[in-house]
Amino acid sequence: MRLHAALALTACLSSGALAIFADDAGHIDYHLALVGLPKREDTFFQQPYAGSKASLLYTLSDKQVIGAVNPKDGAIVWRHSLSTSPNGTHGILRSGEDQDTIITAVGDRITAWSASDGRLAWETRFSGATVEDLEILEQEDGNTVGDVKDAVVLLNDATQGVKRLDGKTGRIKWTYQDTSGNTPFQVSTSPTHVYYISLHTSMLGASTVHVTSLSPVTGKKVDQYTLNTGNDISSRDQILFAGANSASPLLAWTDKAHSALKVNIIGTKGVSTFAAPSKETVERIILHAPNRVNSVPHFLVEYQTKTGHSAEVFHVNLVKSTISKAYSLPNLAGRGIFTTSTTDANVYFTRITSEEVSVVSSRSHGILGRWPIKSSWTLAGAYPVHGVSEVAVRSGSAHAVRSAALFSNGQWALVRNGELTWTRPEFLSGVVSAAWADLPEEETLAHELEVEGHQNVVAAYIHRVKRHIRDLEYFPAWLQALPVRILGNLVGNPSEPISGDIIEHDSFGFHKLVIVATDTGRLAALDAGSSGKIVWNIDLHQLSPGTTFEHPTLKTSRGYVELSDKGLVAPLLINVTTAGLLSAKEKAESVPVVRGQTLVFFDIVDGELKGFEGAQTNATPVWTFTPPTNERIVGWTARPLDDPVASIGKVLGDRRVLYKYLNPNLVLITTVSDSTRTASVYLLDSASGNLLHSTSHSGVDITRPIPSAISENWFSYSMTLDAAHNTASRGYELVVSELFESSIPDDRGPLGAAENSSAVGPNKGDALEPYVLSQTYHIPEEISHMTVSQTRQGITSRELLVTLPESNSIVGIPRYVIDPRRPIGRDPTAEEAAEGLTKYHPVIMFQPQWHINHKNEVFGVKDVITSPSLLESTSLVFAYGLDVFGTRLSPSFAFDMLGKGFNKVQMLLTVGALGVGVLFVAPLVRRKQINSLWTIP
Amino acid sequence: MHATTLLLAYLVSTASAARFILHVPTTANLNPTTLPPTTHATLQFSGAPISVPISRSNTFTFTNVTAGSYLATIHSHTHFFEPLRIDVSSVPTSEGSTERKEVIKTWQTFLGNEWDNKGESRGEGGNGLVVDVRVLGAKEYYQERSGFNVLGFLKSPMILMAIVGMGLVFGMPYLMENMDEETKAEFEAMQKKSPMAQANPAQQLQNFDLASWMAGKTDQGPSKGASLAAQGQARKR
Repeated sequence: MRLHAALALTACLSSGALAIFADDAGHIDYHLALVGLPKREDTFFQQPYAGSKASLLYTLSDKQVIGAVNPKDGAIVWRHSLSTSPNGTHGILRSGEDQDTIITAVGDRITAWSASDGRLAWETRFSGATVEDLEILEQEDGNTVGDVKDAVVLLNDATQGVKRLDGKTGRIKWTYQDTSGNTPFQVSTSPTHVYYISLHTSMLGASTVHVTSLSPVTGKKVDQYTLNTGNDISSRDQILFAGANSASPLLAWTDKAHSALKVNIIGTKGVSTFAAPSKETVERIILHAPNRVNSVPHFLVEYQTKTGHSAEVFHVNLVKSTISKAYSLPNLAGRGIFTTSTTDANVYFTRITSEEVSVVSSRSHGILGRWPIKSSWTLAGAYPVHGVSEVAVRSGSAHAVRSAALFSNGQWALVRNGELTWTRPEFLSGVVSAAWADLPEEETLAHELEVEGHQNVVAAYIHRVKRHIRDLEYFPAWLQALPVRILGNLVGNPSEPISGDIIEHDSFGFHKLVIVATDTGRLAALDAGSSGKIVWNIDLHQLSPGTTFEHPTLKTSRGYVELSDKGLVAPLLINVTTAGLLSAKEKAESVPVVRGQTLVFFDIVDGELKGFEGAQTNATPVWTFTPPTNERIVGWTARPLDDPVASIGKVLGDRRVLYKYLNPNLVLITTVSDSTRTASVYLLDSASGNLLHSTSHSGVDITRPIPSAISENWFSYSMTLDAAHNTASRGYELVVSELFESSIPDDRGPLGAAENSSAVGPNKGDALEPYVLSQTYHIPEEISHMTVSQTRQGITSRELLVTLPESNSIVGIPRYVIDPRRPIGRDPTAEEAAEGLTKYHPVIMFQPQWHINHKNEVFGVKDVITSPSLLESTSLVFAYGLDVFGTRLSPSFAFDMLGKGFNKVQMLLTVGALGVGVLFVAPLVRRKQINSLWTIP
Repeated sequence: MHATTLLLAYLVSTASAARFILHVPTTANLNPTTLPPTTHATLQFSGAPISVPISRSNTFTFTNVTAGSYLATIHSHTHFFEPLRIDVSSVPTSEGSTERKEVIKTWQTFLGNEWDNKGESRGEGGNGLVVDVRVLGAKEYYQERSGFNVLGFLKSPMILMAIVGMGLVFGMPYLMENMDEETKAEFEAMQKKSPMAQANPAQQLQNFDLASWMAGKTDQGPSKGASLAAQGQARKR
């Protein structure tokens, strides 16, 4: 027992052979730590603790990720993924002034996080309820301990009502139960009251607003009134604002046509009506108010029209409870946003457009500062969507302003005094599909070579000479760049290109493009060889107006990418270099015509896997795989289309050969049975639909994912054991199976003598079944996704890449560790040891050296794709989900490339020293030879 | 086995809710305040595991844990932690009483072993039990690049052998020259006498005369090459 533990420990601590070199980390790989698109209400600058000099930028994104971003460089300080379900409900992020915690509410959980390091402060759960709103009580009322500010939450569903939570522990201080059956909308606080706002929907569809004022100390109802909103409000979207914590909480709404703005100071019954600018139809009204208690009660109303935007600033008279318009900001063409910031009691409004940033005080319309935005490639053609600002004012003029704004192209950028400090490509957090594409230059060369291959010798020769003459055009430039390159190679880092000219230096094939499509309908290309640099980023709605993209899928062919989606009638063909749609001529040129081949396509139709001749799924299926009764298909994996195999057999220690069962049409289907809690796998031949192998596991937790991968002649899958039905062992298992033609070495099975055979031929059946060897291992963590590395010729040993969601890692398990031929219960014989087999051990510890993401934590990985490079040793890896991560893998070391450890200067010095040595020794040797001829022996 | 299954099933059905805390103590090789905020602990039983992030006081607080036998794992990007088996059960407070209290028992557990194969107890008690977890070691992600080391290069056995061989080849003639006449003669005589010089099997094999062997000749002796040559000459004439 102890021995086992000790073995496991030594296994996990002993240094593995395949690790990333410390100096390669960050050079061969790239990691974009993303949070998602920040939300308007849940993004703010805040000091991490009272008295801190620097502030951090906090946000809760549309992906329910809370993140603290350093405003200086845009790096993530800490982050947490809060979503429990994939389509998580709305989340709220709030913080109190001078607090060292920030509080989130997602679903039924209210959590306080330490603002500086992201540790958990407290968590309160209301099971069955959903948190509708969350506010911080800014007031000191003797009911709090120290400086800790309490939170007020509004719950919906199971227990509708308002609760006050202790800011230090999260315990409930009081509860106000609402039994009226109204729809809870928001809570708001003022220095004297907590207001609970709910909507009452009448039979006619119009809603009225109910406001209940509660005592912040006891939670008892003080007053209740209904606002006279007439028939204005028919949906929640029409309520523009329900005052956050300010001295004068406001409730503002508009009618359907956005023609008038109606504002009520919460706590009073009066409604002030203001007409919206009538020149153009207002499309959207946004109200910006400061949310500090001690700030002056001024607010700004932003009107967006189709062509421009303008704003009006209003002042609230707290004594008389009246609202008056102070001044208006002129209409500007194009899109722009306004942000609110407070310094002491003063309120400043910052206007950000694509061209400039300007700051005004809430008191007067005089512009305090104005900075033109320097144009940048990343924000070209984009306009700001929303943002937050920090303004520094000295002697009446704004001398610095920094704004973090989300732009329409999905970039989250910080603009400091008009200069772009950083951008974060947050739109990449929604990548749903990705595909590798070769660089266009390589594609053209491949195409030209193909042309030459199909011509007669003379024509091909002329074509070739012409091509070389054309290539001469680049020769002077190449010659010019040569000294720089050589110098750079000697002194600098060999794996990084010196100039921006990618194509010329891409002799290793690392510069592949990854085309990604996001859930928001964007398409982008990343250069895998230049740290994931975004080459282009387009909005798909421009290419196909009026389409809503749900889950676009990508497929690349020569020079273009094929994008299909449910909303599209025909797939879009997009050029990978120009990001434009293919013209009809290009289409005709590049779309390959498959001749003389019948392809079998397969897909899950009505819970059955069906194979069709051709791509139409309405035709009659060629074959159908129906899972046994009570079982349902949860997933399938096919062998990659391009999966080169270097050797058809496995050479044993005694020089005999076990022949691999190599079938290009293998499909692995995983099914589960809900009633018996078993998971089964079926191996099919996708051309004929024959069942080749099946196996079943009982006591499996069928609610957890069962990822699988298939490559060459082996497949693997992983599952979670269900403790409620399997008491023998606990945890997670990884199963690896290898297929051979026969169990006997040097035997090719029943088909050994046959020259031709076909899976769909007459003699199909038992004769074709492979011999399957399987081994199962315990693994310390759950696997959510698995794939296999790919290389150009398949000579390099493969690595099984598994995604570990719990430790936010991607681990490459070397093939020799999961070889199903590892001897069980005995030490390997000399012959087995020569094959590289080690004794079977039931546990595979994921060694830290196997983590291809090393010190980076890769959040929310949904898929990992691999591609061969031009070097046989190296496979390219790209992972996406929330984060984007890419790296290069060398499962059998980089045997065909000089590593960084190779010192070129030292080599030159050695050669030089040898040359000098020869110069000195040569006369000596010559003299000796002459002497030996002239002396008599 | 069946009894435990039934017992567990029964325990699951009773709605009890235990609360306990896993605590990361400060040890010589770990300052728990340096652990990343993504460090979290999971309790796995059936279905989605219960996950709790690390708190400001370096603890993982589990509340409302229903009865069952859980696998507790601490996931950290910087350190390995010992996995634990945590059994939560609900027992009557006293004999015949209807009131129930929660009992939490924790043990060390071993991956790849039977679940009943428990290690040392890591503490047991009622609600609010605090269990110290043990850190097994830090995670080392990187491999050191072995640079060129002259001393290390010279120390390798291959190079040492080569140096000794070189020394013999170059040093021998000088040694021979420096010997005085008597010793030299003695040495040469000794060399001649030695079996190596007399009947060197390798030399014999090299000088093996295939033609004569084929001709059925069973000649032995050092002069066979010369006599054969003479024969050949005779034939030519």
